[in-house]
Amino acid sequence: MKQQLFSTTLANGIVLLGESLPALESAAVAFHLPAGAVHDGAGRCGLATLSGEMMLRGAGDRSSREVIESLEGAGVQWAHSVSTSHASFAGAMVARQLVAALPIYADIIRRPRLPEDELDPARQMVLRNLAGTEDDPAHRAMSALRQLHYPAPWGMPAEGISAEVAALGIDEVRDYVARRVIPQGTIIAVAGRIDWPVVVERMAELFGDWASAADAPPASGPRGSRIRHVHHDSQQTHIALGWSAPPYASDASYEASAALAILGGGSSSRLFTEVRERRGLCYSVSAGYHTLRDHAMAVCYSGTSTARAQETLDVMLAEIRRLPGTLESAELERVKARAKSALVMQQESSAARAGDIARRWYHLRAMRSLAEELDRYDRLSVDSIEAWLADHPPAGLTVVSLGREPLEVPDDIQA
Amino acid sequence: MTFRHERLPNGLEIVAEVTDDALSTSVGFFVKTGARDETDATWGVSHFLEHMVFKGTTELSADEINRRFDWMGASANAFTSEEDTVYHAAVLPAQQHEATALLAAMMRPALRAEDFATEKLVILEEIRMYDDQPPFGADERCRAAFFAEHPLGRSVLGTVESIESLPVEAMREYHVRRYAPGNIVLAATGAVDFTALVETARRHCGEWEPLPSSGRDTPRAGRGPTGDVRETIVRPAATLAYGVRMSAGPAGDDPERFAAKLLATVLGDDSGSRLYWALVDPGTAEQASCHHQDFRDAGLFATQLACEAGDAPALLDEVTGIYAEAARSGITAAELEQARNKLAGRVVLVGERPRRRLFSVGLEWARSGRYRSVADDLAIVEGLSLDDLHRVMGSWPLHGPAATVLAGPSAIPETSGAGDPQGAGGGEPV
Repeated sequence: MKQQLFSTTLANGIVLLGESLPALESAAVAFHLPAGAVHDGAGRCGLATLSGEMMLRGAGDRSSREVIESLEGAGVQWAHSVSTSHASFAGAMVARQLVAALPIYADIIRRPRLPEDELDPARQMVLRNLAGTEDDPAHRAMSALRQLHYPAPWGMPAEGISAEVAALGIDEVRDYVARRVIPQGTIIAVAGRIDWPVVVERMAELFGDWASAADAPPASGPRGSRIRHVHHDSQQTHIALGWSAPPYASDASYEASAALAILGGGSSSRLFTEVRERRGLCYSVSAGYHTLRDHAMAVCYSGTSTARAQETLDVMLAEIRRLPGTLESAELERVKARAKSALVMQQESSAARAGDIARRWYHLRAMRSLAEELDRYDRLSVDSIEAWLADHPPAGLTVVSLGREPLEVPDDIQA
Repeated sequence: MTFRHERLPNGLEIVAEVTDDALSTSVGFFVKTGARDETDATWGVSHFLEHMVFKGTTELSADEINRRFDWMGASANAFTSEEDTVYHAAVLPAQQHEATALLAAMMRPALRAEDFATEKLVILEEIRMYDDQPPFGADERCRAAFFAEHPLGRSVLGTVESIESLPVEAMREYHVRRYAPGNIVLAATGAVDFTALVETARRHCGEWEPLPSSGRDTPRAGRGPTGDVRETIVRPAATLAYGVRMSAGPAGDDPERFAAKLLATVLGDDSGSRLYWALVDPGTAEQASCHHQDFRDAGLFATQLACEAGDAPALLDEVTGIYAEAARSGITAAELEQARNKLAGRVVLVGERPRRRLFSVGLEWARSGRYRSVADDLAIVEGLSLDDLHRVMGSWPLHGPAATVLAGPSAIPETSGAGDPQGAGGGEPV
């Protein structure tokens, strides 16, 4: 299958990406704006999230309600999120609706009204969501891990910190949108049943005359402590641990993610086999790879009842220590097979493809075709992964536990 | 897209929605059994058995099953509900036979006592995991209150006590009775080679012993409580309060169920609905949504609310007030149009993913022995009118008698003092 990928850059710096998937009935668009939580600023954690929420509350000639109703009236399955790096607005729809949907997104992005009387409702919504995350112990453990491991502000929680969200004012929101919702660094991806020249023409009409000054990147600060226990009155203790890995832009990230997939990426992975299948210690256990642009992390997670949490942590650590020097080719073949079929199946979803090509561009400053991706997997070998592991053995682990009792973390894994 | 159907002499049904140019193939075994087919003595066995199916056969170890799925690049999993137990795998088309043959072998598990003992620990962890999460059991308790004595009110996972006391012999007996070929549908979607699928099924399932009758013997469920039932669950560690409210709705064999789903979209979809504008958009509630859920012979409207504990009783009253107002003043043409477009968009997006279509095709066949294409579903959505929505609200008043369960940190007042909402009656005890 020959992939049809397109890219162009508008004069104002907007990167426009496309993938034609003519077998689909749908089309999807993803706007990744350089307005992620990393730009919140000290004492304003949650500013990006509040600003993103405000952008939906009235734009151009549309009131808050009309923004949502016009999207939904066109049958657009819309989504909005703020991550560390981006504020994202996305939509998937029957392909013929794309023409009607794009001007609505152009209003949201270029002409948000940011009315003062919507600030309190928007703030309340952000605060309620924050309160909701307090009730999600796995989310809290993983969020604490990122906050400790990555240097500030890269690990700060995108959803915000309640006390800081409570103090934000409308001027800060307006200033943030003016500074950060800008063409430079904006990536727009379109995938599905699309006509690329028509998309480019339409985007140029909607976004071509958008101009603004570039903003300074955030400065990196210190990281947090290596070990933390968060008290929570729950039946289960949640364990999240991580160590540094190469970011996705580095070619070695493929070796790193393959090693992590062997450790805990599928039901035949080592963690699943040893922690759950052999010992019945937990329901969920996994290892995976998390990347930002300049930092990345190997992440392991498990949740288990308090009395068995120490044993679960001990078995997880034993499997992590055992990894270098013990990889088998059958394990790697399984990892390759899983990755390849996931890549192919992603072509069945326009929304997944639009998000994926936008994210890859952010990391690589280039599109990477399916063929190139598959070829990179083919070049993975036990030797290449072992060589990488020998140079970068799991070390300097950050360990978070959340539950009734703290766990004992051996000294040798903290170095 | 073409639909194919075949039946083996032992009763196993095979259905497929074939899309020649799809990039993947999804296959699944849909076993018509679940929590409603359990008794007090076997509570939780359906879901526990679903786990044990992955623990191997007399020829295959659990490790071997896991390795083979990963080897073929499959995205494989399973789930258990009140009425169905489903084992599924999405693979590239070249792996259709491998995936189907492996799933087929798994349908005849060894059910070894030592695996049973280890997996019991995993099930208990799963129960604790959900118990620590919102809505802290409010959904299960609410369904139990809604269905009263009827087995549809049984929680799928069972309880710590019921799982601890379950003997392996009871699971073996349940398996023989419920996993008879006449009680199973093999479904496939995407790039399916149907002739090869039937051949694989003949080879790997053809020898399964049929049972004279493997149907369901639980009685038809009723229409929920005749008066309001309220319960509370106290969780000191909770930050927010979580409310679940269930009132009667059209059943899975009632043609009105489609209008019920559209009505729930207008009233309580996650965004752009009446509940959204009244409670979520102003930041009053973290969540306020409503959806229609149907079973083979029962249906309900489930409202979910997450908010500050002190606000919960008043907001629940506000929700029923919104339902009552909709029944009184009706739905607008603009709301109907928006909801229809929204649902039509979802149907198309789900329709182009074989791994999502598998559940629509397989569950519908297991339930009704009927097939509906994406085009059929779109035609149903397009054909719904305001009259249909108003008729459903008349027959199934959402502000009527309901089971309501609130879970929260502690101080949840019993009521807001607004009195019981006026129900239109018509309910019968289950």
